[in-house]
Amino acid sequence: MSTDIEHFDLSGRKAMVIGVETPAGGVIARAYAEAGADVALCTLKADDSVMKAKQIQKDVEAQGGQSGVYVMDVTLGRNVQVTTRQVAKELGGLDIVASCPDLFLGKTIAKTSDSELQQVMAVNFNSQFFAARSAVGELKKNEQGGNIVLVSHVLGERGVQNTAAYGAAHAATQSLVRSLAQEVGQHGISVNCISLGWMDWMDDRIDPQVDDAGRAVRFSIMKRAGEAEEVGPMAVWLSGSGVGYVSGQVFKVDGGLLQHL
Amino acid sequence: MLETLRLDGKAVVVTGAGRGLGKAMAKALAAVGASVVCAARTPEQIEGTVGEITGDGGRAVAVPTDVTDSAQVNAVVDACVAEYGKIDVMIANAGGGGDPGGPYEFWEHPDDAFERTLATNLKSTFFSGRAASKAMVEQGEGGVIINVSSGTALRGNQNFAYPTAKGGVISLTKSEATMLWRHNIRANVIVPGFVSQRPAASDEEAEIRKNRGLFVPVRRLGEWWELGPLAVFLASDASRYVTGQEFIIDGGGLAGGIGPVNFAPEHELDG
Repeated sequence: MSTDIEHFDLSGRKAMVIGVETPAGGVIARAYAEAGADVALCTLKADDSVMKAKQIQKDVEAQGGQSGVYVMDVTLGRNVQVTTRQVAKELGGLDIVASCPDLFLGKTIAKTSDSELQQVMAVNFNSQFFAARSAVGELKKNEQGGNIVLVSHVLGERGVQNTAAYGAAHAATQSLVRSLAQEVGQHGISVNCISLGWMDWMDDRIDPQVDDAGRAVRFSIMKRAGEAEEVGPMAVWLSGSGVGYVSGQVFKVDGGLLQHL
Repeated sequence: MLETLRLDGKAVVVTGAGRGLGKAMAKALAAVGASVVCAARTPEQIEGTVGEITGDGGRAVAVPTDVTDSAQVNAVVDACVAEYGKIDVMIANAGGGGDPGGPYEFWEHPDDAFERTLATNLKSTFFSGRAASKAMVEQGEGGVIINVSSGTALRGNQNFAYPTAKGGVISLTKSEATMLWRHNIRANVIVPGFVSQRPAASDEEAEIRKNRGLFVPVRRLGEWWELGPLAVFLASDASRYVTGQEFIIDGGGLAGGIGPVNFAPEHELDG
């Protein structure tokens, strides 16, 4: 399928979505397909997430687009690079890369072990660096460049207790977006970030033992959690033909969480 | 989920719609189904925008408006309600550097020059949001406010009045979002960097733009039409979980901004 809305039509474009087993990754893959793109569906790791990817593949192919499932370990740069090349070869090019890793850790700094810190950084940040690095290698081959969309979290720019490691990893991703935009803008490659607030699949992150666990959501202007479908259209905008002058930005899908006192 | 981008049946006011970014946004919104009121001071210009929209099969009317006069801003919202039965979206785009006179040293900047700049850029945005939200609250169906600021608001400048007013627009937007959500009204602000308002009128102008563009990370200036897709996204339900936010469209400039320098690309790890 495709949309008749100018600059949101991705017909003929080749997209790679990393982390399709996450709610954001899954919806972005579906949105790209709805906009007419061919979509490679890449998992964060080799486990039962492959089954989720195969379900999304059915949805993508129902839209008429070419698709495929690619099992990855996103903590390994070489793996991401080889898969990216394979996707480009099999789709016949690559125009868009969206990366949506998410591994939450809620712990005091004192209780965060070395290995937990390394794992949180590896999944939430290193994988984004690998995705962006591999994407740049492919997108530079295009005369028109392309689009990189990294999905992050608002904890990357606001401090909340017990999220030192997780927040730092997302801050690193958001800094990556700003630096990389400077480096690759000359090649027509836009690099932007979608920063999620409290989404409806994150309920288990708030300590249920606390009397008022709902206060996190009520602190947003809209006083509700976000839904996966609310991420899709922004990803399409950031991957379309009308976004060439937007780069290095972190856009929140957060119901106004960060925008008020 | 992309059907949420459509604006069929929505009534929109765009101030400063006679040219440049306002005209581009008005046309983009009309192209996805919105009925548009084009407001600006110069009748010939907004009639031109209306002619282009209706020529493409869209729906639009022109209402001459001086946005520095709150009575006229109230009247343009009334005109939208009279024409289309309601107002769903206000794009408070009118503004500009104008001609404050001078140049003045900061300590000699006259009261009236500063007040003119505030009136054109900040008071006008307040008037637009106030008039639109009043009608939206009365209608009880929510709505969307989109303000337009400037990248100059986010860094120090050799000129202060315009950036100061545009900084106020960003702050105003965040408060509008906070105050008005209980009535289901969202507010966001577009922050353009160096964006050309129209095609270059001469080879010389094109050359000047090309050279200025070399200082932008994407190596070019933006163009008026590039505000269109962003305005469609923000005006529509596609952005229903987005409010109070600035949308910088500047070719990556403000994400960098430590001057036109590059660090050595091959500098190895120390030690």
